[in-house]
This record gives sequence, structure tokens and C-alpha cells, in this order.
Amino acid sequence: MRLLNILVIGALILAASFVYKIKFDSTLQAERVAKLRGELRRERSAIAVLRAEWAKLDTPGRIRGLADRHLALQPAKPTQFESLDRLPERPPAVAPAPNGDPIGAMLAPAAPDTTGSVPPARTR
Amino acid sequence: MTAMHAPKKPAESRWQRVLRSLLYGLDVDRNVKAKARLGLAILAFAGIFSVIAIRLVMFAATSEGHGGRRSIAQDAVATARPDILDRNGEILATDIKTPSLFAEPRKIIDVDEAVELLTAVLPDLDATEVRDRLSSKRGFVWLKREITPGQQQEIHRLGIPGVGFLTENKRVYPNGSVVSHEIGHVNIDNQGIAGIEKWVDGQGLAALHMAGLATDQLQRPVKLAVDLRVQYALRDELIAARDKFKAKASAGVIADVNTGEIVAMVSEPDFDPNNPSEANDPNRLNRLTTGVYEMGSTFKALTLAMALDSGRVSLSSSFDARMPLRYGKFEIHDFHAQKRVLSVPEIFTYSSNIGTARMALSLGVEYHKAFLKKLGQLDRLRTELPESAEPLVPKHWGELNTVTIAFGHGLSVAPLQAVMGIAALVNGGKMIPPTFLKRDQAEADRLAVRVIKPETAEKMRYLMRLNVEKGTATRANVPGYYVGGKTGTSEKVVGGRYSKTKVLTSFTAILPADKPRYLLLIMLDEPEGLPETHGFSTSGWNAVPVGAQVIERVAPLLDIAPRFDLPKADQMLLVSAKDTR
Repeated sequence: MRLLNILVIGALILAASFVYKIKFDSTLQAERVAKLRGELRRERSAIAVLRAEWAKLDTPGRIRGLADRHLALQPAKPTQFESLDRLPERPPAVAPAPNGDPIGAMLAPAAPDTTGSVPPARTR
Repeated sequence: MTAMHAPKKPAESRWQRVLRSLLYGLDVDRNVKAKARLGLAILAFAGIFSVIAIRLVMFAATSEGHGGRRSIAQDAVATARPDILDRNGEILATDIKTPSLFAEPRKIIDVDEAVELLTAVLPDLDATEVRDRLSSKRGFVWLKREITPGQQQEIHRLGIPGVGFLTENKRVYPNGSVVSHEIGHVNIDNQGIAGIEKWVDGQGLAALHMAGLATDQLQRPVKLAVDLRVQYALRDELIAARDKFKAKASAGVIADVNTGEIVAMVSEPDFDPNNPSEANDPNRLNRLTTGVYEMGSTFKALTLAMALDSGRVSLSSSFDARMPLRYGKFEIHDFHAQKRVLSVPEIFTYSSNIGTARMALSLGVEYHKAFLKKLGQLDRLRTELPESAEPLVPKHWGELNTVTIAFGHGLSVAPLQAVMGIAALVNGGKMIPPTFLKRDQAEADRLAVRVIKPETAEKMRYLMRLNVEKGTATRANVPGYYVGGKTGTSEKVVGGRYSKTKVLTSFTAILPADKPRYLLLIMLDEPEGLPETHGFSTSGWNAVPVGAQVIERVAPLLDIAPRFDLPKADQMLLVSAKDTR
């Protein structure tokens, strides 16, 4: 009878300490969740501020002012557009001069089968 | 024997016996009673302990919920709104969080000290007003909305009891006044009071605010049809035009004729939505939706489409424009008088009032009225924007009204309404209600109503193109873009009479004319003649060149490639006639 009592008391203490540990852990976790939530909220509002700032820096009016000040570009005229299929063929590649003669090198690769994708046949 | 039994009960004195019988009754066994009492006591204690145990469990279970609940309350006070984006996802309106200062007057100990400290940190705060607010008996008062984090820090350090901060959402418009008339603006409580902002509230957001559930999450951004870059370019050109021609106002719309989307809409002068008090100035209202105007010759396009669609008039018909048209005591003249019989394309390119008036008369008053009704010119046009104006329709519509309305006088419509009507004439004959929200082709087709035959639309495109090649709108002939268009100059009514000097000029362009994708409307209110326009203030000298500049600038943004191998207008009609056969 006495042994049973001691066992029960022991089990009680064990259970109590176990429950306390769980409770302590859960409190820690809950605090962490609350902290992360607060952090998320702060980050979200920071993102919102940055997005608004980016949108403000990205307005066409501001970009135009900067372009006028720093770039030499002009608005594209209708005549400056061209479709891809009207592009001319790529000019044939210029082969290195065999003996350091630049004009000769320019004349040399004029072989009939030389195109943009077929490199000129090397002599020698 | 009786004497032997007696000792079971302890000897009691007589007095004790009497007392007992008085307390418990005469013949009661106390042992039985005691057992019942014990049971009752056990029950009571068990009950008390179980209540304590349950409370303990409840405390343990709910204590960590505190932090979460507070944050929800903070979000709820801030009436969050969805972002507004343009068609490419650029931000037009967004929320940022700002702290706001409030006080609980009942908790404030020393009002004078609090006022002194607060006004030291926030110099723009009115001291007497703050004192009144803090001395009131209310539980909660706002002191200042939207303070800076630095000010918040300083006030926090003062440590005044009964003063606190709440985080609120503040609406910001990074683009300022560029898209002001479309998005509208909000009040200090973040409720929409104009434009798309008000429309958003109408979509159930207002109810969410009332319930305090409008938090940052769960809010889908609103995507508009407007293209920020096109809008900026249009506004830039219109501001320049307003200055150049010293006009009272300038306005412009670019609409997608196939879906009804409004890609850009500007009405100058406009306002900055970050500073809503500007919006109340009547001069800054949106002339395209809330103003009604006599559109002038632009309406001739509608009259011609009606005549061609009726089948009783063809492109080779002709009308007598030799003499001014007399009607009662009125006489209708032509601005570019030719004094001869004009064919239908000539009536359009010379913008003949007499010709269009005769054309409308030949079809009759009722037919004219029914056609304009079908094209939505006689009813109020409703869009997402809450602001709209009712057209001014004559009460008794007689023959004289038909004569004048045929060339655009005597009927005032909102310019956006005219845009909708003309878009229907050129896109193949389908009328699509305009929208400020993004819309796809399938949805537009579902909403479309056929108003004229596709062949008539083909002829209208031809006429518009012809007018740019050799009519009143030759200055709009931007090389490579095959523009078609119709000019309009209407005299404004000043003191009950038509003024000769104050005019409203407009230019309606379609782009490209052979297969229109966009419709552009430019409107100038009271432009003045300049030396380089030889003193003329008609549309061909101001609205048309502005339209040409806009087209040259926005066409690449609208993904329209320039083409230089296009036929003349006359050949275009032949080609399309072959196609339809």
C-alpha cells in the first residue's frame, strides 16, 4: 500500500514536470510566433514604402527629365523602324591578311561560296 | 435488561436531551445523517476544484493569443485598400503605413502640460483646439493623423499618459496628377470619394471597412486599362497644346476600338490626388465624362454612317450644296463653301453642313433619332467612374433639330460618348461600352451590340482616311501610320448666341485606318488663332497637328509598326471590296 502511494506520488511529480516543460516550450514558441508576426508586419510595410518609392522614381516624367539631361537620344521617328525580314544579309567575314596586306585581305575572301554562315576557305 | 441497554447511549443529562430533541427532532439517528452530509461536502469540493482546474486549463490555452489579437485590431483600424495598377503592372495608387496620434482624454492627468509638450513637438498643431479636445469627456480623440516616424519617436519619449499611436494606412499616388481623373482620390479615412477609388468602395470594400475586416491581405490589386506611358505622352502633348494655343482647356482620349478599353484619358487642367482639395475646383473637372459639348463636325461621321447604312444613300450619291440651306428664318452655310453639287465623299472631306443636313432630312426625323439612340448618344453613359453627365437632348425634336444635329449642333453629349459612337462606326459596326478596367477580346465580344453593317464600317474607314489625304485633316497625315480622321469645330454658345470667335475644336483619329485598333480624340476649348496658323482657330490648324504629334509619339508605345507600302484611300476601298466578296 505504501509502495503504491510512493509510486503514484512519483508518477505525479513526473507528469507535472513534463506538463510544465511542454507549457514552457509552447510559451516560447508562441512568443516567437508573435515576434515573427510583428517582423512580418514591419517588413510588409517597409516593402510597401519601397514599392511606393520605386513607383515614384519610375514615373515617366522623372525618367524623361533624366534622359533629357544625361542622354543624347532622340525620340524614334517612324522611318527608323524596320522589320526583321527586311534586314540585309550579314557581310562576309574578313579573313586575316596572309602577308600583312590589308587591302589584299579585303579582296581575298571574295570567293563565290562565301556567305554569312559559311566562313571563307582558308588558303594554305 | 433495560438498564443494560441504556449504556449504549451515553448518559445524558435531562437538559442535553431536551436540547437534542429541539435541534434534531425526537427520534433521529445521527450516523445516517452524517454520511449524507459527507457526500454533499465531497460533491461541493469536487465541484470547486474542477472549476479551478478548468479555469487553469483555459488560462494555459489562451494566454498566448494576446499578441495576435492586438495586431488584428491594429490592422482593422487601418482601412486598407487594394493597389491600383496600370495595364502593365505599374503602380498608380498604393498604401503605406503611417502612425497617427490619438488621446484618451479621461486618462489625461494634466491637460495644460500635455498641450504644451505636444505643441512643442508638433508646431502646426492648434493649441486651443487640442486643449478643447483633451478637456472633452470622450473616450477617444484624434490629435493628428499621419505623423512622421521621427515625431512619433519624440512624442513617445515625452511619456504623456493617455496619449498613444495607431498605425493607419495612407494612400499615395506616385504619379501625381498624371492619371488623376481616372483614379480619383480618397479622404482622410481612406474612403474613395471620386473616380475608380469610389468604384472600388462600391465593390464591397466599404462593407468590409464597416465590419473592420479590411486588412492588408486578401486584397487583389485593381488592374486598369490605362497605359501609364501613353497617358503621360498624351498629357505632355496636351499641356503643350494648351499653352501654345492659349486654350481654356484641352482634353484627349485614346480608346481601343475592339475592346472598349480606355488606354489613356487626360483632361487638362487636372489635379494632384495627393492633394484632394484641388479636385473641388470646377475648372479642374473631367471634361470628357462630366462635361457635355456640341461636338460639331465630328457628328457628321454619325450622319454619314446612318445614311450609308440605311441603303438609301451610297458613296456615289450626290447632294445639292449650291445654295445655303434655308430653314424658316435660319440659313445654313458651309465653312468651306464649294457652291456645287457634292458627292458623298466630298461632303465629308469639305465638311459640308448643307450636304449633311440634306442627307439627314432625306431619311427623316424619326430615323435620325432612332439611329442616335441606337448609338447611345441620347442616354447617359455609365462607366466605372461615378462622375457622368446626361446629354442635352432637345425636348421637341423637329426637322430643324435634325438639320442642326446632323452637323453637330443642338445636341450636347459627353465626349467619351461620342468616342464610343465613332469607335462603333469603324471597328466593324459593334458598339462596345467603354471601360477603364482591363478587358479581353472575348468579354468585349460578349458585350458588343451590332449597330451598323460591316460594309458601312468599311466605307467609314475609307472616308476617314480620305479626309486625311485630301480633306480638312491633312496635317494629321503622319507618314507610316495610315491615320484616318474627322475634324470638328463647333461655335460655343455665349450669352444665348453662337459666338464666332469662341470655338471648341476637336479631332477624331483612327489608327491605322485600314484595320483600326485605336481611336484618338483631341479636344481644345477656346483655342486662339496664332501667326503661324494665319489667325485661324479651326480644328485643322490646332487639334489636328496636336493629334499628329500624339500619334507619332504613342504609336510605338501602342505596338503599331510603321508601314510605308500602303495604298491610297481609293485603292483601299477596292481591295476591301474584293476581300468581302
